[in-house]
Amino acid sequence: MNTQHARHKLEQAVANDLRTNELGITVEMIGDRIVLRGEVASRERRDAVLTVLHEKAPEIDVTDELVISADDVRPPHGSEVIPPAHERTPDV
Amino acid sequence: MNVDTPMVRIAAVGDVHMADDLRGRYSSALAALPDQADVLLVAGDLTQHGLLEEAAAFVAEFAPCGVPVVTVLGNHDYHSGRESMIRELLERGGITVLEGENTVVNTPNGRIGVAGAKGFCLGFTGRCAANFGEVQMKAFTQHGIDSAATLRQAFDDLDADVRVALTHFAPITETLHGEPAEIWPFLGNHLLGEAIDAAEADLAIHGHAHSGTERGTTPGGVPVRNVAQPVIQSAYAVYELPIGARV
Repeated sequence: MNTQHARHKLEQAVANDLRTNELGITVEMIGDRIVLRGEVASRERRDAVLTVLHEKAPEIDVTDELVISADDVRPPHGSEVIPPAHERTPDV
Repeated sequence: MNVDTPMVRIAAVGDVHMADDLRGRYSSALAALPDQADVLLVAGDLTQHGLLEEAAAFVAEFAPCGVPVVTVLGNHDYHSGRESMIRELLERGGITVLEGENTVVNTPNGRIGVAGAKGFCLGFTGRCAANFGEVQMKAFTQHGIDSAATLRQAFDDLDADVRVALTHFAPITETLHGEPAEIWPFLGNHLLGEAIDAAEADLAIHGHAHSGTERGTTPGGVPVRNVAQPVIQSAYAVYELPIGARV
């Protein structure tokens, strides 16, 4: 299959499979391997993405560069003061 | 701004995509919330697949946080066609859900008014769907147009000291930087920005763009903050707004 079509099918599998439904994952095909980029909330969701991809393309090696966003969620360090309306500078 | 100007404090996060695997991830971080903010706004995608058990997990995690929780739903919350039941479940848990509606939170320093609507796709100047052609294209476009009208309606009778727009979809492109420009029409809608400017809101909060940028401004000068959790990289962000500054 054409590389572009194969890449599209893998990205759609990750977006549409109920086990994943991850919409922001990109699949880059470099030679005979896949590089996965994007963000998921947990290690469990990363594993689910890898499972779905392995089912679709068991013969291809995967390099996982996914970022896990909610592994260690902490409160913010500070706050931001929003300027009052009369200090706004609208575009003209 | 005078250092003695009374301020209200608004915490916000979006796109928590709650499911069983995230139970317990937010609750400890939220313990500090009552010391930092008067209200928590959640900008949609409360759940991963729009399932009732995920909504129940969201309630269990966020409802006990010690401040009023005000939300809009996101596209993930609609995925299983159970958005009405999700709304009922959230409301039974004490969480406010807005869609073309507003609510006012009373704080010691003033009233925070929140006008909320999910919003929808459509696009922005130069990359925008048009109400033309096939019936499917017209339906897509019209839904984007209608979603902005829903946000306008939410502001109609909102009387408060500070007025905040809460959406899931983005109202401007500035907070989408980091996302591929090709998908911006699926991430937001310039008419939401027009609605926010028409309402002369004090702040606009949205989510949806996980790879976007936190800070931006509408063409009319309203501060916009993309609080998608992967963007703010914390349990919530806190914004302080002065009271009595409306002119």
